[in-house]
Amino acid sequence: MELEDLKELIQFLKETDITELQIEKEGTKVKIKREKFLSHLEMPLQRPAGLYEKTTETTEEEAQRLITVTSPIVGTFYRAPSPDADPFVEVGLKVKKGQVLCIIEAMKLMNEIESEVDGIVVKGLVENGQPVEYGEPLFLIEPV
Amino acid sequence: MAGEEIEDIERLIKGDIGKEVFFYESVDSTNTIAAERAEKGAAEGVVVFADSQQKGRGRHGRCWESPSGVNIYMSIILRPEIETKDITLITIMAAIACAHALRRITGLNLTIKWPNDLMVRNKKIGGILTELRTCHGRIIFAILGIGINVNIESNAFPDDIKQIATSIKAETGKPYSRELISAEILNEIDHWYIVLHKKGRETLLSEWQKLTSTLGKKVRVTVDKETFTGLAEAIDDEGMLLLRLPSGVLKRINSGDLIELR
Repeated sequence: MELEDLKELIQFLKETDITELQIEKEGTKVKIKREKFLSHLEMPLQRPAGLYEKTTETTEEEAQRLITVTSPIVGTFYRAPSPDADPFVEVGLKVKKGQVLCIIEAMKLMNEIESEVDGIVVKGLVENGQPVEYGEPLFLIEPV
Repeated sequence: MAGEEIEDIERLIKGDIGKEVFFYESVDSTNTIAAERAEKGAAEGVVVFADSQQKGRGRHGRCWESPSGVNIYMSIILRPEIETKDITLITIMAAIACAHALRRITGLNLTIKWPNDLMVRNKKIGGILTELRTCHGRIIFAILGIGINVNIESNAFPDDIKQIATSIKAETGKPYSRELISAEILNEIDHWYIVLHKKGRETLLSEWQKLTSTLGKKVRVTVDKETFTGLAEAIDDEGMLLLRLPSGVLKRINSGDLIELR
């Protein structure tokens, strides 16, 4: 396999959800693996502050105190129990330990993600209806 | 179903799933009752039945039509000892179990529409909705909610689902015992749940593929506000749908409303 072929293949994979690919051809073995959720992790920080984020930038010191809520499964992220319902939580508002923050759906399996602490929602990292990976950060919570 | 029918079910149960069952005349949702019982420590295999549901749950706040006296509405408490990321195999497992039980009893050519709708002649005869409770990323319990249209007459469905829903009686022309069907489904779940725990991923995925109507078809999938049309080419090792888009790109779909086009 030529370098150009390889570049083309990598470019192609970027347009898909595939995270791992292995090809064996004429004695050459190629394995491409990418950690999808890492790129997601960086993305929200680069985005300009919107309605779904607190407008002040979080400093490093603050960031260390924050609790990151991650997705335990691969699925689709929903901020509300149904399309016409209010979101479970809003940025800037208080949440109680055990309060539902969002739903992750995978193949008609609904996983309600609960806050593990009393705190304030500092940031929502994923848009409604978007796919999330295993371990992907969903919210930043500041414990109180 | 009342007290004596519950005894009938318990007598027909062979394994751990359904050894203890609770019956309610009318509930909001059997999933809610089962989750409350699980929170209080109810054991794996406990099943909650209701004769009718006021707010039977579908996806995203949708309602599962649940009139009294005709259908099966049940929720099973599971405490699977598997990795959280493998949890989608639970919904695959449930679909296989229901399909086998219903095929055996009714003789209908029942198929599975991805991921776990139970279909006869392109109409829905049963549905499965699972609710998962996790803590620190680990599974605490799963509630497997199953609704089967057994003896409801085809003209008794509300207008908005008349064209897309059917029942065992509507398809076979005769009524069936809800107790017998419930027990058969629970026994099948018991069997396939054991397969799941014996590292049965390959077995489950290949069994699902034998029973599905979706693969090889052109389908339309709506995920939130986005719609994708393409060829349902395969499922991956988690059971997620691999959809070949017209651009040639293979898209992995983890959830959504799916319509088989042809």
